[in-house]
Amino acid sequence: MNADALADLFRRVLENPDVSADSDFFVSGGDSLLATRVLSGIARDCGVELGFDDFLSAPTPGALAEKIASRA
Amino acid sequence: MSVVVVGAGLAGLTAARDLLARDIEVTVLEARDRVGGRTYGLEVAPGVWADAGAAYLGHRHTELTALLAELDLKTTPTAMAGDSRFELGGDVGTRAGRFPPLSAVALGELFDALTDLCAKVRVDAPWLTPDAADLDRRTAAGWAAEHLRHPDARRFFPLFLGEMMAADPAAVSVLHMAFYLRSGGGLRYLNAFAGGAQEDRIDGGAHQVCERLAARLDVRLGEPVRAIHQDGDGVIVVSASGQVRAGTVVVAVPPALAGAIDFRPGLPTPRARTATAPGCAVKVHLIYPRPLWREYGLSGWTVNATGPLLSTVDDSPPDGGAGVLTGFVTGSEAHRFAALPAAERRERVLAQAARLFPELPAPAQVHVTDWIGEEYSRGCYAALFGPGDWGLLGPGLIAPHGRVHWAGTETSTEFFGLMEGAIRSGHRAATAIAETQEEQ
Ligand SMILES: Cc1cc2nc3c(=O)[nH]c(=O)nc-3n(C[C@H](O)[C@H](O)[C@H](O)COP(=O)(O)OP(=O)(O)OC[C@H]3O[C@@H](n4cnc5c(N)ncnc54)[C@H](O)[C@@H]3O)c2cc1C
Repeated sequence: MNADALADLFRRVLENPDVSADSDFFVSGGDSLLATRVLSGIARDCGVELGFDDFLSAPTPGALAEKIASRA
Repeated sequence: MSVVVVGAGLAGLTAARDLLARDIEVTVLEARDRVGGRTYGLEVAPGVWADAGAAYLGHRHTELTALLAELDLKTTPTAMAGDSRFELGGDVGTRAGRFPPLSAVALGELFDALTDLCAKVRVDAPWLTPDAADLDRRTAAGWAAEHLRHPDARRFFPLFLGEMMAADPAAVSVLHMAFYLRSGGGLRYLNAFAGGAQEDRIDGGAHQVCERLAARLDVRLGEPVRAIHQDGDGVIVVSASGQVRAGTVVVAVPPALAGAIDFRPGLPTPRARTATAPGCAVKVHLIYPRPLWREYGLSGWTVNATGPLLSTVDDSPPDGGAGVLTGFVTGSEAHRFAALPAAERRERVLAQAARLFPELPAPAQVHVTDWIGEEYSRGCYAALFGPGDWGLLGPGLIAPHGRVHWAGTETSTEFFGLMEGAIRSGHRAATAIAETQEEQ
């Protein structure tokens, strides 16, 4: 999953159109409950199962895309 | 013509306040020897009050917020800084933040499925939701068995529903679950402390709202209402000490209790059925000399599959003058716990506190407030609509029965089950009565 697709996923879950590749999920209105919905979306899209702590350490679409690439 | 309000909880007292403000004569009849209903204060140390009933509010609870300003009551933020403890099968673990040590993907699938359900429901009239009949027939437990595959999602779901709505998943319909979550502002808002429905508490206790409202009103305690008879000229309300005549009545009591009143003429639709379950919540307060857990970097927040306390929250007063940890026992665990003798309840709570917080001394006091057994509440946080209830009860929930108007949090499709819903229902009933009186 690339940064664009992840930004789309962020927008959908956050119901917030103002998300770019370097937007921090937790600053853009995200919390732990919504974070799990990003992680289930990633698992559905590309089969990579990340944990909550992975997301905390890579909270932007860009950083998350790199993390997924390193796991896939 | 004067108005009689039945029930001195938030809904009834709000309605009475509004009517009085429009110069309509109003009397409130309350069954208990106190006002407040499902709000109730416990003085756990001199001048320190714990909420044995409702406690939390958030910024979307605008009518409650307005009432607090009017009554000169302040709020205090719910403290949630530090590490959490979890006992979810296996040993007690410590983690930063509130996130439980479960598969995040599994929980995400649970929340995705619940979000989809909530989006479907027509919150202003749940029985008109597309597929209403099907969603109304099935229980939340059946829904979970069908939709949740991951064991972590299955383990977490009953804890989540217990926390959100004090419901055993077997007791509520899928429609009611979806309606309740949506009515309260959605999953995320209902679940959140900061920025959500648990953001603040009322400084000094939520019971003060009703006490301050009642101080300006004619409220008669110890007057359970048994019968409400209408005739051509008005209404006769029969309570413990006799009868009162009124032009209009507001019934502001939980649905099962409203249904137990003898109405003549009878009601066209029932207020509650046997499928309508009482919410099942027991609140336990553990009292320490000060919030000792904070000294170990802990927030006091715990989530536990091994009861009796399924979650705990730091509800200490803002000055830290006492340590108040509130434990929630909800759902089927609440029924098991409530059935135990008092000494055994205490023993189990103390054993759990020692497991969760081995570094702390035993709490100096343990208070158990069992709402399931309360004759004049019949469960908390609110009535739980079981299979078939919305279809049968929904259409008659709000429409007045002649001169009888309905209030109570269960008659509000906005913030149903919460203090905010109760207050909104009171405003709605009072406005409707004032409008009919102006027409006459
Ligand atoms: C443990 C617990 C935790 C909760 N937590 C929260 C929370 O954090 N935030 C939140 O917003 N809400 C919470 N709630 C829910 C909240 O308390 C209720 O939604 C709200 O107080 C309901 O107000 P009400 O006026 O509709 O009903 P009630 O408060 O139940 O008032 C009804 C009144 O009618 C009286 N009565 C009953 N039958 C009769 C009769 N026949 N004749 C005369 N009087 C009668 C009762 O004694 C009572 O005083 C919680 C509830 C509980 C119990």
